[in-house]
Amino acid sequence: MSLLNIKDISVNYGRLSALRNASLTLAKGDTLFVTGPNGAGKSTLLKAIAGVVAPKSGTICFADKNIGGRTPEDIARLGFSMVPEGRHVFGSLTIEENLRLGVGMRDDKDVAERELETIYSVFPMLKDRRYQTAGVLSGGQQQMLVIGRALMANPQLIAIDEPSLGLAPKVIDDVYAVLLKLRDTRGLTLLIVEQSSARATMTGGRMILLRGGEIVLEGDARELTKSDALKAAYFGYGEHH
Amino acid sequence: MTKRPSIFLRTVSTPLILILVLACFLALAALVNSGPFNQVVIDAFVKVTLVVGLYVFIGNSGVISFGHIGFTCLGAYATAWLTIPPMMKKMALPGLPDLILETKLPFGIAIVLGGIFAAIFALIVGKILMRLSGIAASIATFAMLAVINTVYSNWERVTGATSSVVGIPIVRVVWPYFLAAAGAILIAHLYAISRSGLALRAARDEAIAASASGVDIGRERLIAFIISAFITGLAGALSAHSVGVVTPDTFYLNLTFICLSMLVVGGMNSLSGAVMGVVVLSVIIQVLRQFEKGVDFGGTVLAIPNGLQEITIGIVMVVILIARPSGLTRNTEIVWRRWPFKRVSATAGS
Amino acid sequence: MTALLQILFDALSLGSLYALGAIGIALIFGVMRLVNFAHGDYISFCVFALLWPSIDAAAIVFAGQLPAYLLIPIILATGACLSMLSEVLVFRRFRNANPATMMIASFALGFVIKYTLLMLFSSRPKSIDLWSELALPVEILDARIPLLQVITIIITVLILAALVAFLKRTRFGLEMRAAAENFTMARMLGVRANAVILLAFAISGMLAASIGLILVTQTGTVDIQMGSSVMLVAFIATVIGGLGSLPGAVVAGFLIGGISVLMQVILPLEVRPFRDAFVYGAVIVVLIWRPNGLFAPRSAKQRV
Ligand SMILES: Nc1ncnc2c1ncn2[C@@H]1O[C@H](COP(=O)(O)OP(=O)(O)O)[C@@H](O)[C@H]1O
Ligand SMILES: [Mg+2]
Repeated sequence: MSLLNIKDISVNYGRLSALRNASLTLAKGDTLFVTGPNGAGKSTLLKAIAGVVAPKSGTICFADKNIGGRTPEDIARLGFSMVPEGRHVFGSLTIEENLRLGVGMRDDKDVAERELETIYSVFPMLKDRRYQTAGVLSGGQQQMLVIGRALMANPQLIAIDEPSLGLAPKVIDDVYAVLLKLRDTRGLTLLIVEQSSARATMTGGRMILLRGGEIVLEGDARELTKSDALKAAYFGYGEHH
Repeated sequence: MTKRPSIFLRTVSTPLILILVLACFLALAALVNSGPFNQVVIDAFVKVTLVVGLYVFIGNSGVISFGHIGFTCLGAYATAWLTIPPMMKKMALPGLPDLILETKLPFGIAIVLGGIFAAIFALIVGKILMRLSGIAASIATFAMLAVINTVYSNWERVTGATSSVVGIPIVRVVWPYFLAAAGAILIAHLYAISRSGLALRAARDEAIAASASGVDIGRERLIAFIISAFITGLAGALSAHSVGVVTPDTFYLNLTFICLSMLVVGGMNSLSGAVMGVVVLSVIIQVLRQFEKGVDFGGTVLAIPNGLQEITIGIVMVVILIARPSGLTRNTEIVWRRWPFKRVSATAGS
Repeated sequence: MTALLQILFDALSLGSLYALGAIGIALIFGVMRLVNFAHGDYISFCVFALLWPSIDAAAIVFAGQLPAYLLIPIILATGACLSMLSEVLVFRRFRNANPATMMIASFALGFVIKYTLLMLFSSRPKSIDLWSELALPVEILDARIPLLQVITIIITVLILAALVAFLKRTRFGLEMRAAAENFTMARMLGVRANAVILLAFAISGMLAASIGLILVTQTGTVDIQMGSSVMLVAFIATVIGGLGSLPGAVVAGFLIGGISVLMQVILPLEVRPFRDAFVYGAVIVVLIWRPNGLFAPRSAKQRV
């Protein structure tokens, strides 16, 4: 039984085709890395799932529902949390307000408080500064905040666009440790975009490689990295033999 | 039959066809030969000039200007200053410089000077305003309109403040207005196919690419701003002579709205759209005006209430913006290719 | 000293009107990048809701006769309904349009509202007596200040306080602030776009209604133009304050009120009529200097 099922979606920006006939499936508790060079269409894939851009064709099913044409808020309410690239914290809101926004779709007050405590226990730094505005946080702290905020909703699937970008290795380790723990304890499904395959190799899981708007390679992350196929596909050579 | 016409015919066909359409109205006016109908046609020609002037800036630059009616105001008052008999001027507008108080120029020269006055003003203001883009630019042009209106509504000794300035020689023959409208169309077309016009439209469609290829957007915008100020100023002068009176509030929000509507209804990125918008809305307005006066249905006179005309225009406008944001012409130009007319896209390079 | 106090109260009460108008505009701009030119016509519409439609010169007072505890909620509800209606019927269809198209659409909507009023009431200003006893002066530190000015200022402060409480203390307020800062991100967190926008329109409409009530009480007349003049200045306050910034709108509203009153006092007699031209000119200067306004929200441009 798959949680996310994408079939043949294509996305255009005006005349530019950013994604062509992409298909993938994700089961509950899976980890999928999406890699590929700049401009490959990785972010576009995530935005299409989130309902921020409308695919030209194809279907997307999430939690047994066809979510094509639904609004981003509806999709979020089905249990899909998206962390877009570029850390969109609400700079004028406090850290706690940022986090509380994440739990918006769940009305139960107690749940919100409990969730907040969970996040604070995972990222104690956020608790220390809970009443400061989020704009003053450093890049790494903002990344923790947006991930924490996405987790507040207790989603079934979290999609994160380039979590490592611009972060110190130590911080990246922390972030991944949290995500993997939630995967193992709660069955959280992970969909992570990274430009490099290094993290995927360390963590394990499945991996797809996007290039020029198409999925050119798919398989187990560790095995793909071991073979030369990944490098060849990444840079686009070796196709002729 | 299917032989393609020459390049020449195709490139100049748009303005020629548009002018031909106007000529039909001119001929119609000559045929009907009634005062009120002449006035209707004159009014339409003034609007064509005005909206075509608006198109030169908005259509090519993609920046919505809420300020061009300010230029219309400048042009109208300038021609009033130059053509009112000196005796009357000394009474009504004693604050004018002596040189102007003593002059009385013929209509033809005065209206061109009115346009030039607006263009010079646009040069000065544009130097500052054209640094802005997007919503900030639109708002700044709006502020410019408000400044002009405030000054003209209060400068008792030079503009007569809010009271009407009378004594402007009324020109009731139709052909000068036709010539002006045709001239405006020609200027607009020549500008659109000039280097500056092409560069500006390229920048409108692909801002980053155009500036990377060395287009100085600010400078090209300024050129368009000045040319369009000249045409809208000229239209203002014409409107002054068509009715013989000017007041500052004629040239404020309502006229701004009507002209923008006409441009948007036609399709604001095309010259054909500008002309078509005026023609279509003018016809609707005329019909509704007729209804406001009352129409005789076999003995019973039915009149629609005052204001319904404007309400209809507003609704038409919203509906067109929703259903057809690129206007009736879909932002294409009417060109002569084969019979019947065909349209081409009005994007850069075509 | 007493003259100074009088100037201060003039400035504060004028600034109050501008600030209320500016927030109404900034609120909508914040959540949907719409510069709502129809806002001034909401003000006029609410004012005319006091009357019974008639094109006679004399006003037939209708809602205006009701006791204040009924009248105020009714007029506020009128503003909110009109504003929400315009969102549902018109603006909702422009969600993905560029700001200029929306501006023109709002211009058209304002035109429709204005001429609907003209059709129902004619264009002649009408006089109406609403709470005219408030025009009596009160003595504050020897200065005679119209009671209405004092009330205007107090009401404005109360409205602002209520608004701040709503924005800071409620779930909807939180969502509205988030949506104003980054709408797409807020939606990705499950914030219901249409609900937030509709609520913003409702508040904006109520603000317009309160301006209308204050204006009628001050002037004793009802006029289809009365919204537009406040709206123009309020609009400019919004720009100077940084489009979309609520504190900016309030500060700029009071700033313009203060500057206008001050100019009225210190400008030489012969340039005094041009006071508004200086105010509008200041907008251009501010835009050139800071295209995003004085207090632009940090993320004014950043959208996903
Ligand atoms: N909003 C947009 N408008 C137009 N083109 C876009 C937009 N976003 C992305 N693109 C283009 O789509 C392609 C894929 O972009 P993206 O999905 O961001 O790639 P990636 O995340 O893999 O770097 C690129 O060519 C990019 O320039
Ligand atoms: Mg990306």
